[in-house]
Amino acid sequence: MGISRRFALGELKDHKRIYAIIIIVIALTMTSFMLENAYINYMMQVVDDTTKLVTSDAVIVDPSSNIRDLYGTEPELKGAGEIARRIENGISGYTTSIRVTAQGTYGLGSSGEAVDACTIQGIDPEKDDEISGISSKIVDGRFFTEDDNILRGHTPLYIEIEGPGNLPDFVYGTGEKLFEEEEPYPIIVGATASKIHPSVGIGKTLSLTLSVSGKKSSYATVTVKVIGLYESGTPTLDALMWFMHADSLREIKRYGEISGYDLTIPGIGTFRGYNAITVDRDRGDAVIVRAPEPIHKLNPVGHSEEVREKIESVVPHLKVFSWHDFLIYIAGTMQDVVTIMLWGSILVTLFLCAAAIKYVMDSIVMRKTREIGSLKAFGARDRTIFKIFLYQGMFIGFVAGILGILFSVVVMHLVNYYGISVEFIAGTQLRVDFVVNWLTLLIAILLPVGLSVLAAAIPAKKASMLSPVEALRKGELSL
Amino acid sequence: MKKPEKPIIALDNVSKKYNEYGVVVNALDKVSLKIYPGEFVSIIGPSGSGKSTLLHNMGLLDRPTSGRVLIDNKDTSKISGREIARFRGRKLGFVFQNYNLIPRLTVLENVVLPGLIIQKKQSTLEKKARVLLKEVGILHRVDHKGIHLSGGEQQRVAIARSLINDPVLVLADEPTGALDSDSSQEIMEILVNINKKRGATTVFVSHDMSIAGYARRKIILTDGKIVGDTNRNSDDFNRVLKQIEKKTRRDDHGH
Repeated sequence: MGISRRFALGELKDHKRIYAIIIIVIALTMTSFMLENAYINYMMQVVDDTTKLVTSDAVIVDPSSNIRDLYGTEPELKGAGEIARRIENGISGYTTSIRVTAQGTYGLGSSGEAVDACTIQGIDPEKDDEISGISSKIVDGRFFTEDDNILRGHTPLYIEIEGPGNLPDFVYGTGEKLFEEEEPYPIIVGATASKIHPSVGIGKTLSLTLSVSGKKSSYATVTVKVIGLYESGTPTLDALMWFMHADSLREIKRYGEISGYDLTIPGIGTFRGYNAITVDRDRGDAVIVRAPEPIHKLNPVGHSEEVREKIESVVPHLKVFSWHDFLIYIAGTMQDVVTIMLWGSILVTLFLCAAAIKYVMDSIVMRKTREIGSLKAFGARDRTIFKIFLYQGMFIGFVAGILGILFSVVVMHLVNYYGISVEFIAGTQLRVDFVVNWLTLLIAILLPVGLSVLAAAIPAKKASMLSPVEALRKGELSL
Repeated sequence: MKKPEKPIIALDNVSKKYNEYGVVVNALDKVSLKIYPGEFVSIIGPSGSGKSTLLHNMGLLDRPTSGRVLIDNKDTSKISGREIARFRGRKLGFVFQNYNLIPRLTVLENVVLPGLIIQKKQSTLEKKARVLLKEVGILHRVDHKGIHLSGGEQQRVAIARSLINDPVLVLADEPTGALDSDSSQEIMEILVNINKKRGATTVFVSHDMSIAGYARRKIILTDGKIVGDTNRNSDDFNRVLKQIEKKTRRDDHGH
């Protein structure tokens, strides 16, 4: 071990109490930093999961839609197929998928009694699974297969009733009777919904009443059969978000070429449905866009904005929501405020610790002036003296960083074990999975090290610049 | 006795001026001096005569305002701070009035310290340190902390420490200044023995004439000037010494 490190360790031992206090304060500050970051990372992951179940890096919708509509109430996006092709041809590396969505309520068993709300995302198992990764999240049952009867060849039965006066027209689903040899549409539901309603399980048949025409008051009732349960990692999301094959939803929403007759009964309304349909895969409610992964993820927001700008340059008249928009929508700006305040307090505390380190080292230099003089007389170079104090700063920062990480790991476990066990919706436990990434760990070490080294550098420089004769003359030898 | 041609250290017209509160003080005034290998030299003089300043300049702890200090025939006024540090570590050994042991280190660790600074191998240093500690009669306390030793014991350790890098010159600044007369005599006998046995060229500063008497060559410094040197003219030296002793006594009575 070099002489500087030996002396640095000696000084640390000599002043272990005051340094221990400084280290603990820095460590606790870094614990706050770690916890805050781990929680934000978790929130980001939740947002990411949520976003990717609904969309990917960006979603293109009709200009009249807002972000809330993306959960099943957006109107049809005219020319969705053409838009998707323009994106894929216009921006290298970008892939698209046409998404069909619906929102509604579901009932249980033959009574068809409505018990809860859900959003149905129609997905193309081949294209969309790459985005949402639902097949890998199935915890019971199975994902869609080629053998599934996703199409019946006809639309569900509707009855259109002309609204009186200024009231809008209504289209109601009338309940569904399956024809001979017809099977319910396959559906994948969230495991949370199954926990809340035990009768929503694999193989169960549900009556689903869906809003099928965007914001218009139009509903269709269809029978579906649960083929799989998924867990996304976000229980609340699993309670609400279900998945059907995109073509099943197209058939229900009449997205295709329709033939057949409607039956109109004067004074009652028009019975439409059981019309033959050839599903048009170019029709849908939104175009989902997936951009190539950025080289680094240090600035995901910047990347997200870049993706949006590229898409907007190809489809300037449409509305584009980016991943960042979802982040703002779901996580909210409160998180930003909390983050700024926490960072503020972390930086203030670290600054005070740095000042304390400088003060302690200044007093050491004062008291040990003669010792420094002796070392110089024995041939120690200015750099050797400088390093004695610099190593102390480095050690304090490093130990504080490591302790901060250890403390935060303990707190994270305690929080998960005792702290947050919120009964969420009917009986669902919310678990906070703190997400720690390498960047957070790196900052948790480098920030206190950098700061304490900077704080130590000033007294270190002062000590190293002492003239040996002056140092020997002044000061008292530490006893 | 004919002296060897090459001195270990040579001071050529060395002056050192301080500026104290706007007043220029000539601590050393054109001092020229040569110390030859194996010499055992005392620098004596009343307080404020510039003894310590002279020693500091010889030890490269301070730089002269003008003049040259040559060690092993090398002009140290022309070398960098880094080289100066290197010189101090490899060529010079220091003994201080207050011993300057590092309190948290053991006797052995204190002795090997200058060797570690110039990056010598620890095991070799420790072997050598034990030999030196035996020579100065403190080997039995090798594992004690410096702080737990008496003044005389601490100074023995400091002497062993000054020899660890085989310096060409050992400089001692009032080595007995903080000791009682018995301990002072013991320390001086150790320095004399080391000078004889190891041939370690030694220069020490003392205001105590009885201590200075241990040296074979004595130099008198007054007002920053060498006014007597037994090497030059011993009759003249004795006359100056008597004058100084008279002056010192007068000063002491006056106080």
